Amino acid sequence: MNGLFSYYETDSFLHRRNPSLKLLSLMVLMLAVTMAFDPWTPTVFFVGALAVQCFLGRVPLRSLARPLLFFFALGALGFVSSNALFYAPPPGGSVAVLWQRGALRVTVEGLRVGVSLTIRMMAIVVFSMIFVTTTDPTDLVLSLIQHARFPFRLGYGILVAYRFLPLWQTELGIIRAAHRIRGVGERTTLRGRWEQLRRYAVPLLASAIRKSERVAIAMDSKAFGALPRRTYYRQVRVTWLDWAMLAGTILTTVLILLVLARAGLLIGYGVVPED
Amino acid sequence: MDEVHIEARNLSVRYPRATGWALRHLSFTVVRGETLLLLGPSGSGKSTIGLCLAGLIPNSVPARTEGCILLDGRDAADMPVGERTATVGMVFQDPEAQFCMLTVEDEVAFGLENLTVPRQEMDGRIGEALSLVGLKHRRRERVDRLSGGQKQRLALACALAMRPATLFLDEPTSNLDPATRYGFFQLLKALRRRQPELTIIIVEHILDDLIGMVDRVLVLDDGKASSPAEEPARVFDRRGHALDEMGIWLPQVTALARKLRLAGLAVARLPLTVEEAAAALQHLVARRTIERGDDVHRRGTACRVPTTQSSSRPPAISVRDLSFRYGRGPLVLDKASLEVPQGSFYSLVGPNGAGKTTLASHLVGILPPGPGQVRILGDDITELTTAQITDRVGYVFQNPEHQFVELHVEDELAYSLRIRQHSAAEVQAAVQRLLDDFGLASHRRANPFSLSQGQKRRLSVATMLALGQRVLVLDEPTFGQDRNTAHSLMARLCALQQSGVTILAITHDMQLVADYAEQTAVLVEGQICFSGPTPQLFANRALLREASLRPLPLHELARALGIAYQDGTLPMSIRDWYPFFGLERPVEPDASPVSRSAT
Repeated sequence: MNGLFSYYETDSFLHRRNPSLKLLSLMVLMLAVTMAFDPWTPTVFFVGALAVQCFLGRVPLRSLARPLLFFFALGALGFVSSNALFYAPPPGGSVAVLWQRGALRVTVEGLRVGVSLTIRMMAIVVFSMIFVTTTDPTDLVLSLIQHARFPFRLGYGILVAYRFLPLWQTELGIIRAAHRIRGVGERTTLRGRWEQLRRYAVPLLASAIRKSERVAIAMDSKAFGALPRRTYYRQVRVTWLDWAMLAGTILTTVLILLVLARAGLLIGYGVVPED
Repeated sequence: MDEVHIEARNLSVRYPRATGWALRHLSFTVVRGETLLLLGPSGSGKSTIGLCLAGLIPNSVPARTEGCILLDGRDAADMPVGERTATVGMVFQDPEAQFCMLTVEDEVAFGLENLTVPRQEMDGRIGEALSLVGLKHRRRERVDRLSGGQKQRLALACALAMRPATLFLDEPTSNLDPATRYGFFQLLKALRRRQPELTIIIVEHILDDLIGMVDRVLVLDDGKASSPAEEPARVFDRRGHALDEMGIWLPQVTALARKLRLAGLAVARLPLTVEEAAAALQHLVARRTIERGDDVHRRGTACRVPTTQSSSRPPAISVRDLSFRYGRGPLVLDKASLEVPQGSFYSLVGPNGAGKTTLASHLVGILPPGPGQVRILGDDITELTTAQITDRVGYVFQNPEHQFVELHVEDELAYSLRIRQHSAAEVQAAVQRLLDDFGLASHRRANPFSLSQGQKRRLSVATMLALGQRVLVLDEPTFGQDRNTAHSLMARLCALQQSGVTILAITHDMQLVADYAEQTAVLVEGQICFSGPTPQLFANRALLREASLRPLPLHELARALGIAYQDGTLPMSIRDWYPFFGLERPVEPDASPVSRSAT
């Protein structure tokens, strides 16, 4: 799968970290960014995350360019323009108008909120990408089962589904080609698309159901779920470095927030900007 | 050694919502260390036996059961599931749908983990199982990067790692090419020598490379066994006719000896292997070399079309120096060139992954043409619109379901005519003709997905002829079908060829090639390394080896007996053998009657 997000196979500090604790660290960062409303805090986290990805994750930034550009465009078009135009000041607040024509006006405050939202989203995207590109999906599921009490039956179900995704992608390609030969054009009207969806879905579902039944029988034939407990060949380890990563993440986050608050740039967390 | 390991007593199984019983009062025994072959038409209950044995029925697969199956004297139904699955190791047919992990060693470990084998012990057992199947060096490989044959060997390793007393193999080689199938059975034979205690139960269709290791055969028909399991030669001898009726393939040399005996020759005991056949037939050969007569040259099948007139017309398909790669991947086609004359029955063979489907995809413009040229009936494909291409070429996909676009059989047949705005009367007439020609008239209101495997295949061929296409390309047309359905389909294709349609069939089934294809092209690693009359291909052993095609058992027998035509080529199908034994060639094709299979 060469989608926007996929595991990048290499060896790095982040690749070696325990997936569950990595997930926890990620949540800390997400929380920190979500609670800040100014544009500076997410910018600092965004740049920091890129550096972490580059040096600790050893994932070439080039591979992040496409998804980042996509979200940047989305943010620029959606958040910035809508907020710049339609920002409603809080009661009693005033706005600085930059440009006005009729009912349309662009305000400084609106622009600031839009930019801040965009950067926030970009920061969150980079966090997620760090996680996805440096975490082997099998290890993630095993770690969730072994360390986070995730039920193993469900976990293995997810693994199987993951294994089958590329197969279904290939099969969809074949079905599309097969239909094209029948003379089915790619539809553009809404009704045509709906019809087309049904045509693709039936063979795909028929094969998916058949395959999943077969896999289920094959798994059961290897005694899957026959005993309440199972052992694990691949042990996902937790080392002091993993805890250090979590502690480091929390510490750095607090530090960044403190410095920004000191500089008077932080908005959110109950901190009110000086006027 | 004669210790009864498995015993079925009056075993009956019925699936929920099924119309009949899958197994009816079945009783049989299997001795420890024995190899038992299960034969029977599809739906006769072969797989159900495996599911019962492994305790998957009724625990994982809901079904009503009566009677019992005993493992070492203990009722399997009373054994804890874990113990039972550890006793019976299963290998299934579909290499894509029996794994759940991403890497080879994780996959082997999976079963051990479920049995709570301690971690320290797993490492050794994984290594041991993988070296038994010759996959030790691929231990850390991703499962999806293995070839089909390697995946089946991995499935075997997974079962062996659990140290089962019995292996149940359910059509393990039906997705593999001939050489890979041979390799899998060689592996099984080696395993049999190393672990004489291991009981093996196997379901298979193509028996030539397997039958030598089989101790007994149990024939199932409609969930019943009408006689106890016996050694193979006796079963083929006494029940040959019944097996014929059921559409079960005998090993080729056995089938030949049986036909010759029915024609009046004194064949004492039916042979199973080439060596046995050579010994049994040696003294009966009347002439070792004969002239290849004109009818012999055309091989007397239904496909008899004079090829002389075709030379003046442009070829149906002409491919010149075609190269192709997917994205930035390796070259799949490397300057492949192929010319298929109009009105011929052409086959395209080659090992798995050689690029056969990729080449065929270019003939209908599914793939953007790379360097090189493809001409259909004389015109460059890049200058034709998709509609023009599909007017000329019908393409039948390997899985018929992929092509279905409508909810009823008749709409399915009418589809391409309707989108071309043919009149209702025209459509009606064409649909009726196709329904009749392909024996689908009684299913006209059925949903295509609800048809049987053979019917689905016939429907997919019929839809591809609705526009009166002159060229028909088929990808593995007989895949997953029993002998009767396969032969009836081939007979239909022959009839089409007689009406002037050019047929190009991709296939792994070498006997089919020998029986029907006038000409054959061999694709190896993206290049056509042979194209020409089919007998010449089979006469060339070095080429067969290179293309990972197995020589036909009948040809090995011909060599062992010193039988050949004067031009050095070998007799292709069983009928061609009669003159060598001083017999008249039978008029009737040796395939089962076509009419019967339309049901």
